[in-house]
Amino acid sequence: MQAWLLDYLPLLIVLSSLLPGLLIFTLKEQQVALRTFLNLLGVTLKLVLVFLMWQGVKEGESYYYRIAFLPGADLILQADALSLLFVVLSSVLWLATTIYAIGYLEHSPLRSRFFGYFSLCVSATVGLALAGNLVTFLLFYELLTLATFPLVVHRGTPQSLAAGRRYLAYTLSGGLLLMLGVSLLHLLAGSPDFTPGGYLAPLLASGSILLQVAFALLIAGLGVKAALFPLHGWLPQAMVAPAPVSALLHAVAVVKAGAFGIVRVVYDVFGVEVVRALDLAWPLLFLAAFTILFGSWRALAQQDLKKRLAYSTISQVSYITLGVALLGPLAAVGALVHLVHQGVMKITLFFCAGNYAETLGIHKIRELNGVGRQMPMTSLAFTIGALGMIGIPPAAGFISKWYLGLGAAEVAQPWVILVFVLSGLLNACYFLPVVYRIWFGVQYSAWPSPQRLSSRFETHWMLLAPSMFTLGLILLMGLFASTELSPLSWSELIVEREFSFDD
Amino acid sequence: MFPALLLVTLPLSAALLMLLWPRFARSLHVTVALLSVPLAGYFLQQILLHGEQQWLLGGWSPLLAIRWQADSLSALLLLLSALLHLLVSGYALAVQARDRLPAAFWPLSSLLLASLQALWLARDLFNWYVCLELLGMVAVALVTLSGDKALKPALNYLLFSLFASLCYLLGVALLYAGYGALDLPLLAGQLEANRLNAMALLLITLGLMLKAACWPLHIWLPAAHAAAPAAVSALLSALVVKGPLFILYLVWTELAPQAFWLPASYLFALAALGALLFGGIAALRTPYGKSLVAYSTVAQLGYATLALAFVLRFNLPEFVAALWLFVLAHALAKAASFLAMGELQQTLGSKQVSALKGASQTMPLAMFAFAVAGGSLIGLPPSGGFLAKWALLLGLWQSQQYFWLLVLAVATLLAAAYVFRVVVLAFDRAEPTAPDFAPQRLPQYLALLPALAVWAMALFSMPLLTLLKQEL
Repeated sequence: MQAWLLDYLPLLIVLSSLLPGLLIFTLKEQQVALRTFLNLLGVTLKLVLVFLMWQGVKEGESYYYRIAFLPGADLILQADALSLLFVVLSSVLWLATTIYAIGYLEHSPLRSRFFGYFSLCVSATVGLALAGNLVTFLLFYELLTLATFPLVVHRGTPQSLAAGRRYLAYTLSGGLLLMLGVSLLHLLAGSPDFTPGGYLAPLLASGSILLQVAFALLIAGLGVKAALFPLHGWLPQAMVAPAPVSALLHAVAVVKAGAFGIVRVVYDVFGVEVVRALDLAWPLLFLAAFTILFGSWRALAQQDLKKRLAYSTISQVSYITLGVALLGPLAAVGALVHLVHQGVMKITLFFCAGNYAETLGIHKIRELNGVGRQMPMTSLAFTIGALGMIGIPPAAGFISKWYLGLGAAEVAQPWVILVFVLSGLLNACYFLPVVYRIWFGVQYSAWPSPQRLSSRFETHWMLLAPSMFTLGLILLMGLFASTELSPLSWSELIVEREFSFDD
Repeated sequence: MFPALLLVTLPLSAALLMLLWPRFARSLHVTVALLSVPLAGYFLQQILLHGEQQWLLGGWSPLLAIRWQADSLSALLLLLSALLHLLVSGYALAVQARDRLPAAFWPLSSLLLASLQALWLARDLFNWYVCLELLGMVAVALVTLSGDKALKPALNYLLFSLFASLCYLLGVALLYAGYGALDLPLLAGQLEANRLNAMALLLITLGLMLKAACWPLHIWLPAAHAAAPAAVSALLSALVVKGPLFILYLVWTELAPQAFWLPASYLFALAALGALLFGGIAALRTPYGKSLVAYSTVAQLGYATLALAFVLRFNLPEFVAALWLFVLAHALAKAASFLAMGELQQTLGSKQVSALKGASQTMPLAMFAFAVAGGSLIGLPPSGGFLAKWALLLGLWQSQQYFWLLVLAVATLLAAAYVFRVVVLAFDRAEPTAPDFAPQRLPQYLALLPALAVWAMALFSMPLLTLLKQEL
């Protein structure tokens, strides 16, 4: 590959989904083939470029692209190991979700608009992952809000419009808080690039209150998307969106943007030392621990499958925040690897929920009785995903929870392990009955609205294949966690290379 | 000086010629609009090369002659006016058959351009009065173009405008009585902080705030801007209200004695607070689409007024930059949103906001233009509105104005609420349209143009700040 092309690699990765997305907007509804081609072209291009970048970063290369923006704060796209973790996650899952969405939305109206915004959403996520300073991060954080909103309201029903309004109210307020925080930090310290170990240590001497205020503003702004209690209210309601959107929102784009931002702020803006010196980790730790238990507890009470998954997301994403707030290297590994694992597991669960709804019209949990015989493949994927969420080996979820537990022990916070145990129990309480119903429940009435989507498989192949793909990922990531290719090894590399722990 | 003179005399003489030969009105108008843009661009380049320039018209002494002066800010405003005038002319040409724009539109809008360009160039209190008076008259006449229903708001506008001019003229007369000069650079630094000058400045400020629709003196604006044809509303909201603001800024920063700055800053801050909150709330509640955009103008002017208040109170470059960045960003965004909203209303055949249900499907382009412009009004990155807000935020953090940070946050949320009030509705499922439903595409693209321009603005923050001679 040409050297000059490598300089533009971060930009090209963002553009590889942005340009097809913009083109898709201009297409007519009937141009299905062209639209599908553009979608797949974008996905393929992005994966190839991401692969190139991954190879380079593994070798220790760095990629850097700069455009003039605000005075003292350029737009910077750069690739380090941490951004690559998120880029790979979103690009791979985008592939699965695109195929799923093509199958899911077959024959439904307004597909050009949908896929256009879908591509924009992934572009914003990738841009956010590659952002090299806080101002760039803010830019993509807001663009993500704008790109996801049309997807949430896509169906245009009164419920989805209400959900869209609520989503906007939360996320725009969050963006505003983030903007206040970013501008305050810009005034105090400028907007330098994200630095391993943070760049605020020199300011500690000159007063800590403004730094604490900035931290609170940033975390509150990011907490909205990461669905930290009490800022989680938008998430369960946003479930009215079509299944691929929920999958993308919950697994990759929105909640992960918040969690990823928290990782950046704690490790690359403030730095562990400053966070410790300012006593900032405690509130975050308690908030995350509470959110974990609260989300699980609320999930228990939900009778709607997608709603239960939504509350489960609230709980599971806070594991990442918790791992970050523990401020130890092992906990950091756990948090990072959970960012990937939770994404893959949650997207599988949402794919399955979508399959049930599309094929048999199942939305409520009690309607799932005996569905295992009707749709064995989907049910298998759902079961493995649920077991992974609980943290049962060999699924991927076990690995991340193991490291989080080790991390808690390492920094001598045994009560956190108690939180993990309790939440694991609650997870089991809300997932195992569902699994039991699927395989052993007795079907007591006809399926709500069965449709014959395929003559060979239990459902349309475009719905089935993505869930099988992510199911494979869950098992591979769990079984081969110790190999060099696994997210676990990559997370260890990030912590080793970029998170400066002195000990 | 030649290009500057042409920038004013070209539209002026064209307007007169149009009255003589109404048949050529359109072509004359378009020619002038097309010529003005490169001329203004060339002029800006000259200013950048040779620095600030000034001329005394007629070559008399400063006491008698009219002084024109142009720094890079004036040149930028000249260019902006020429560009938006060209854009609106294009829009008017594209829709004139459908909207039945009266022939008077062409000479009037040329006159509007002439008086605005003269206003940006003048540095003389009486010359400004003439410009303001002409601007007001032409604006009122333009509002009446939409027919009988616009007469009442136009009359209202006329009365307020006349009253404002009177106040301004009284203030100017008081100053003239005291100092025997009207020339701004001659008067600069001369004024003592006495009662008479306080009275004069208060009258001038009152008149200008009325004309600039600063809260609570804005009451004429929403009805007038909403009643006018879309092309006119765009010009009025984007440019005309900025003229008095420009004078207000110069009068206070160059003329007024520093002893008055603090009370004036409280006055402006209060007006800004009211504008930001009540303007936003009114935009949120009004049932009509164009009133929503008009109230948004009232609210957005609050940002500029706030920046002016802090310019007087703290000597920070951030506030001066914020003031003019808001003016630029708002001009572009508001032109886009008025054109888009006008297009939506004309095509969908209703003034109600509720008629926009499903507009993202029936008229995606116009809706997109509105949403994009709205993004700048909210201040989302990377728009011009964001750039301005960023400058204001930095200034407020630096001067530790925590209360105003809170106000800014609330105002931003209000703006988000009224913009997305429309956008959410547009994502509703559309009613089936009539088979002959065929929206015009060209006017929609023209509405999109300034909206895209305002989003590109933040990427050119450095050249813009260089033009404004401010550093963040």
